Amino acid sequence: MTDALNRRELLRRAAAGGAFLTVPGVLAACGGSSNKSAGATSGESKTLAKTLRFSNWTLYIDVNEKTKSHPTLDAFKKKTGTTVQYTEDINDNASYFGKIQGPLSRGQSIDRDIIVMTDNSRYPSLLIKKGWLEKLDKSAIPNIANLEPALQHPNWDPNRDYSLPWQSGMTGIAYNDKLTDPVLSMDDLLDNPKLKGKITLLNEMGDTLALVMLANGDDPAHVTDATFDKAIKRIKGAVDSGQVRQFTGNDYSGPLSKGDLSACMAWSGDVVQLQADNKHLHWNLPDTGGDIWTDNMLIPKGGNVYTASVYMNYVFDPKVAALIEDYVNYICPVKGAKAALQKIDPAVAKNTLIFPTQKMLDNVHIFDAAALNNQKYLTTWQNLISG
Amino acid sequence: MGFLHRHRNLTPYLLLGPGLLYLAIFFVVPLGFLAYQSLESGNFDVGYSFTWAWGNYWDAIQNYRGHFIRSLEYAGIATILALVFAYPLAYWIAFRGGRWKNLLLLFIVAPFFVTYLIRTLAWETILADQGPVVSVLRDVGILGHDGRLLATSTAVVAGITYNFFPFMALPLYVSLEQIDERLIEAAQDLYASKWKAFLRITLPLSLPGVVAGTLLTFIPAAGDFINAQLLGSPQNHMIGNVIQSKFLELTDYPAAAAMSFVLMAAILLMVAIYARAVGTEKLTG
Amino acid sequence: MTTAAAAEQQRPGSSALASAWAFVKHHVLTVYALLAFIYLMLPIGIVIAFSFNNPKGRFNYVWSGFTLDNWKNWDGVPGLRSAMVLSLEIALIASLIATALGTLIALALVRYGFRGRGVTNLLIFLPLSTPEIVLGASLLTLFLNLTIVFGFWTILIAHVMFCISFAVVTVKARLIGFDRHLEEAAMDLGANEWATFRKVTLPLIAPALLAALLLCFAISIDDFVVTYFNAGPRTTFPLFVWGAARVGAPPQVNVIGTAIFSVAVIGMVTNVLVQMRRERSTANA
Repeated sequence: MTDALNRRELLRRAAAGGAFLTVPGVLAACGGSSNKSAGATSGESKTLAKTLRFSNWTLYIDVNEKTKSHPTLDAFKKKTGTTVQYTEDINDNASYFGKIQGPLSRGQSIDRDIIVMTDNSRYPSLLIKKGWLEKLDKSAIPNIANLEPALQHPNWDPNRDYSLPWQSGMTGIAYNDKLTDPVLSMDDLLDNPKLKGKITLLNEMGDTLALVMLANGDDPAHVTDATFDKAIKRIKGAVDSGQVRQFTGNDYSGPLSKGDLSACMAWSGDVVQLQADNKHLHWNLPDTGGDIWTDNMLIPKGGNVYTASVYMNYVFDPKVAALIEDYVNYICPVKGAKAALQKIDPAVAKNTLIFPTQKMLDNVHIFDAAALNNQKYLTTWQNLISG
Repeated sequence: MGFLHRHRNLTPYLLLGPGLLYLAIFFVVPLGFLAYQSLESGNFDVGYSFTWAWGNYWDAIQNYRGHFIRSLEYAGIATILALVFAYPLAYWIAFRGGRWKNLLLLFIVAPFFVTYLIRTLAWETILADQGPVVSVLRDVGILGHDGRLLATSTAVVAGITYNFFPFMALPLYVSLEQIDERLIEAAQDLYASKWKAFLRITLPLSLPGVVAGTLLTFIPAAGDFINAQLLGSPQNHMIGNVIQSKFLELTDYPAAAAMSFVLMAAILLMVAIYARAVGTEKLTG
Repeated sequence: MTTAAAAEQQRPGSSALASAWAFVKHHVLTVYALLAFIYLMLPIGIVIAFSFNNPKGRFNYVWSGFTLDNWKNWDGVPGLRSAMVLSLEIALIASLIATALGTLIALALVRYGFRGRGVTNLLIFLPLSTPEIVLGASLLTLFLNLTIVFGFWTILIAHVMFCISFAVVTVKARLIGFDRHLEEAAMDLGANEWATFRKVTLPLIAPALLAALLLCFAISIDDFVVTYFNAGPRTTFPLFVWGAARVGAPPQVNVIGTAIFSVAVIGMVTNVLVQMRRERSTANA
């Protein structure tokens, strides 16, 4: 927090966070005593900081098991002199937001330059709405031209002013061919009596509602009360009849591979891994369409914009992206990484769940971010999945 | 140590001082923040402000009454099951454990070393639909031919019982281990059968442990959310799940806070009734 | 003929059955204990088994082949070892502090009359009943207000806070029913209060202290929610596993979890064996 806060701004921010105003709290917000913001904010300085503080999800970057290091981060240091202080402390979007909204709502920095959050949750758009993100320094990111076209204009950040994808994933239907005939549509998943009690849906509203709306013939990118209610009604019917066993996060992966589930809504990246040990598992986009979500690099308020932007530029170099992709195996947002990967690891390059075909990309949609932040919709959804 | 002798009245306060001061700072003050939050209104976008919003409490009770009751039910059943399963085990360790007692206690808490998620995944393997346990239960007829254990209220209660087992077993052990075996021998010398000696001597003397174990199991179990989330279907969710989602997904902090206080009040009410039913201070301290 | 004589006459024919029944009755408790331990350790068995698994993908759900690689390469996952080390450190220190503070409070509650007994009991039970999510978030608010840097110390403070109650209730179960006559006898024989406490009271409540320590250790090493909110940039073992589970917790997680437990078991077994040898040598001497 390097900008001086005038009293009105301070009170507004404190009220927004519902925080107890105490003398230490006020001093902290004003003086930033324990908050080491690494330097200047938007565009004020073009010098690289010594350290880049990068918070990411666990096991989500390339690893060299022998040296226990992250080769791309080491190479970044060699290239620019900046050490990346990499912490894997993001486990879940909601919990992470719950943790950082405390300091951010008081105008304190969270001591990070880059954080990564998923856009099938409400949090990236909520962060933008609350003004808790810094804008990227695009002049430092010429490689932004390498961004896959399908990901260039998400409805929550149409010009990519605040975010750049780290990895993506698709949501579709997985099924076990030993236990069921191919399940290729949401209609089949929700209505087929042979699947009763053997399917799960995702607890992420953005994912499940998107797929159900598409199956209803509605557009998930523009949610209205009518289309929302229709989708909810359909899902509720499936829950009440016992068709839906549970709403899960990615904990469907255990039951799916063990045969407790015949089919479920699943993320592409998980099934890539599960298939290696269970050849009977298959994943497809529903015939009516699936959705694509992205884990995005964001710069929280107080982060060093220039250094973060330089790093983002670095990972958008196809060669670097290929190295990261070879390990992470979700969907790479960088054009040209596939070509670079052909030389290193052709098996990964050929996998359509990691480098989807154009046909697949045409069949995925992004959920309406405004709907994700609609309190009424959220409450209805939570009541649905929590009985 | 004449100081303590002369200032006898001070001793309890000196003993209580450090611990209670610690709790006052690091629990009561945060609880104060929570109470303040529970009386706020507004929403996350424009911010919350303190408005003595007692309506939050009323809404919590009205809208989620079923979840509160279900939570107390599941926690209650799990506590009784834990008591029934843990008592004989604690008894055996206390009276037959010999020099291996401490090692055996270690085995009781062993599951906690591998973290909740890993041990729940292990249980999901054991209780899998295609696994041995469910197959046997289906053959024997306890489960329907398409029945399952996972994603049911049975799994949730079983999960709570398992995960809170040490909280029941260790206090039971602590109380049982103190019993002088010669009392039991004396009773038997006086022609009491083994069973009668147990009912008349051992059980009453172990009641402080029973009370302690019951409280340490029931109270936290009522607020649990994770067992319902991983092992239950939507119809099995507890109030802990609702509080979790109100806080994290809906960012409705006043609602989450109010709900938490309603839960705490409900739990404490049950504890008060229980303490009265169990009886004197000799048992509850 | 008296009934005893009649019973004597009956014995020869049914003696085999009677002695078999007596055998079962005597050992039923042991059999039960064995079954109970199997129940407790069954998930651990699965965890240990899967630590030898060789999955081709990232997830460790399906058996794909035996390997010793995970054990040989136990340290191969960056961040896992430091997470476990932090968890152990915190658990050890937190359980010691919590047990110490809790024991003092328990002593005061059981042995002294004082005003504020009800408030004290409330203060002990409230943390147990507070849902973890709001407890963690409120503590976070406190730390933010005090501008304390998040990390080791905030985690430690949080863990001591929620462990104290468990220690109090566990030790209390022992103190209720404690025979004060032993202490009185010691004092009659000239020992002052402190010496009595050290030489008479403490050894007698030692099993309760150990039980409280184990319980607090287990709770601390397994805690997720409160830790998550107050850990700042640090990662404990449960936090690491939680995050890793999203993309597939590697088998090394199983290795480290069971290794820690095994080390504790070996430590305790060694302790017992050393004691046994010592006793044998003093007996022979």
